Amino acid sequence: MRSAATPGGAGGVLAGLGLVAAVTLILEVVKTFIELPPIAITYLIPVLIAAIRWGYLSAMVTTIAGGFCSAFFFYKPTHTIFVEDPARRLSLMIFAIVAVVAAHLAVRMRRESEVVLKREKEINDLYAFSRRLAAGHSTSEIFDAIQRHLSTVVGRRVALFEPRRPAEGKPEPIGESDVPQNVRAEVTAVLAGHATAGMPIADHQGNLWLVRAVSRKAPDLGVIAIDLGRQTPESEEEIRARIEAVLHDAASTLEQLGLAHAITEVRMRAESERFRDALIGSVSHELRTPLSSILGAATVLRNAPAVAGDPRLVALANVVHDESERLNNEIQNLLDATRISGEALHPKLEWAEVADVVNTALERRRGPGAAHAIDVDLPAKMPLVQVDAVLIEKALGQILANAVKYSPPGSRIKIRGWQEGGVFALSVSDQGAGLSPEDTAHLGERFFRGRRHVSSTPGSGLGFWIANAFVAANGGTIEADSSGEDKGTTVTIRLPIPANAEQLESISSD
Amino acid sequence: MIDTATAPNVLVVDDELQIRRFLRSGFEFDGYSVSEAENGREAIRAATLRPTDLIILDLALPDLDGSQVLERIRSWSSVPIIILSVKSSEAEKVRLFELGADDYVTKPFGMAELLARSKVVLRRKTRAMTGDSVIRIDRLKIDLAARNVFVDEERLTLTPKEYRLLQVLAQHPGNVLTHQELLKEIWGLPHINDTHYLRIVVRKLRQKIEADPNRPRILLTELGVGYRLAPPNEPADSKAH
Repeated sequence: MRSAATPGGAGGVLAGLGLVAAVTLILEVVKTFIELPPIAITYLIPVLIAAIRWGYLSAMVTTIAGGFCSAFFFYKPTHTIFVEDPARRLSLMIFAIVAVVAAHLAVRMRRESEVVLKREKEINDLYAFSRRLAAGHSTSEIFDAIQRHLSTVVGRRVALFEPRRPAEGKPEPIGESDVPQNVRAEVTAVLAGHATAGMPIADHQGNLWLVRAVSRKAPDLGVIAIDLGRQTPESEEEIRARIEAVLHDAASTLEQLGLAHAITEVRMRAESERFRDALIGSVSHELRTPLSSILGAATVLRNAPAVAGDPRLVALANVVHDESERLNNEIQNLLDATRISGEALHPKLEWAEVADVVNTALERRRGPGAAHAIDVDLPAKMPLVQVDAVLIEKALGQILANAVKYSPPGSRIKIRGWQEGGVFALSVSDQGAGLSPEDTAHLGERFFRGRRHVSSTPGSGLGFWIANAFVAANGGTIEADSSGEDKGTTVTIRLPIPANAEQLESISSD
Repeated sequence: MIDTATAPNVLVVDDELQIRRFLRSGFEFDGYSVSEAENGREAIRAATLRPTDLIILDLALPDLDGSQVLERIRSWSSVPIIILSVKSSEAEKVRLFELGADDYVTKPFGMAELLARSKVVLRRKTRAMTGDSVIRIDRLKIDLAARNVFVDEERLTLTPKEYRLLQVLAQHPGNVLTHQELLKEIWGLPHINDTHYLRIVVRKLRQKIEADPNRPRILLTELGVGYRLAPPNEPADSKAH
């Protein structure tokens, strides 16, 4: 690539001649004050400048002009190009040789430094590109990164079109959105795999657009439209060849990065997520509809006049009711677990009142927790936290359910809240089975159940794992402590308090 | 049991026969007269043909979406509608409340819960007809006409926003109002997403009207959805339940 510092051959030559003229003038002035030693060597200065800034041609012309000026203005006889003194003739020849060699070296040095700079820029671009790729999870993010990369390497307005299935509608440009209609038509044709002339297309303003598949080998990389601007037929030819070359390099980089493969993978992942969602939806509906009938009918039955009078029948209706309730909770846990392992948790963070979360969790657990006395101790003044209150309530509900399940009926469960620095802590303590050190170590694992309880207490071992994932998704932590077996358990949820929580208090209610 | 002279008519809309069956028994044991519809069109027709006091509407219907049925019926009638759904996403609840649903019950549910909620929405309708401007909830008395609020007959000093919040909620006692609805009513459309405004004013109001602001009994939170006031006291409070 020619450097931007080369203002064409003619410009460089003229600039070189200008420098020679300037040096000549200065020497003429200096000559009137002092007797000058051999002059020619002074012209090495403009020669080197010309070589570094404007290249070889300019340096050569400057050398000749410098030699000529030395002979013409300063070496006797002056105002002729003849040089009388043999020593001066020799010095002129040495000047010429040194100038040519030095110019040659200077030009080469310049080219090398240009190459180094260009490589550095390319590496930086590639690095930025790979960072964006690494951060991209969806195809649109990957295509966004490709578009930016291509527009950097091409150095022009670039629109990238992602290949789509017919069902997904017309292709929409990524990046440059202002793409004329006739260019879009060409893009659609290239995307569809039709052979096209490949010539630039002029839009209504006379700008030329080049439409190309990014890679011939990997059609999944999409189609690119490049705005070449207004061009004459000759400059168009040149610029097109240059862009084709750049594009070719970029395409082989993209192919090497295995991007086409990555895109396919991301697509498949999205597909399987859709499938999973559909499955979750249908399972939850298919299992819950009959369950709703069973549970509802049981509640009607136990209050029906014929049953309500007979405690034995009421007890039976309660069995049906309680067990369907349990089944329902297990289905909910499985659904929650699927959401977590599919990374389908998208917490909706909003300012929330911790007391609201605690009260809702208590409200929901009212039934089975009735056998335990639940104390709540929350400070009168609490900061607002920024969380998905529904997820935190579910987490707290799981922990409460565990406390109820693993501690004897009639024992106390204590919910306590306090602020410690930038964190709000919420703990649930029970007087139940406690945890062995081994239990504590495995608590965070999916399906883990304490060995002592596997046979005696029903459960799937999902509860704590779900609570943990829900709290973590909100930027919080969860921790279980126990002084040992049968010494009770304390589970503590810690939620970050945003720095501006305090300022909110000053919101006026006038 | 319902204390109105004639049995209220409830229309049960669900495509599952078993659900309709237990709902019919449950409501009939409690003194309602029940009619059924198994799809959306039938529901809309039934609601126009028969005098209906309450509609129990399942969201998943074979022909129309439950929310469409809700919207259609709301276009001419203010009959109380309770939604049944297996889905329990908060976004969905918000949407349905804003379409005019009176309450939302997630399947599976117990009959006692549905009956309690039915009673609340029916009572609200009676109140709307009598045009009573004084509402009593627990120890709280709100006089909407005189714009006065009392706790245990002692007058409270509320800021304009606090009063406005209480007023908007009191106009729909027992009904959930979504965060967005409240923000729009009180602060106006530009603040529709500033949930923290609401949180702070709710907190300040609770400090004035609740015995324990951390365990509210009057101004209740529907987590992720909005707020509602507890059901008003029965006219003769002593014989409730």
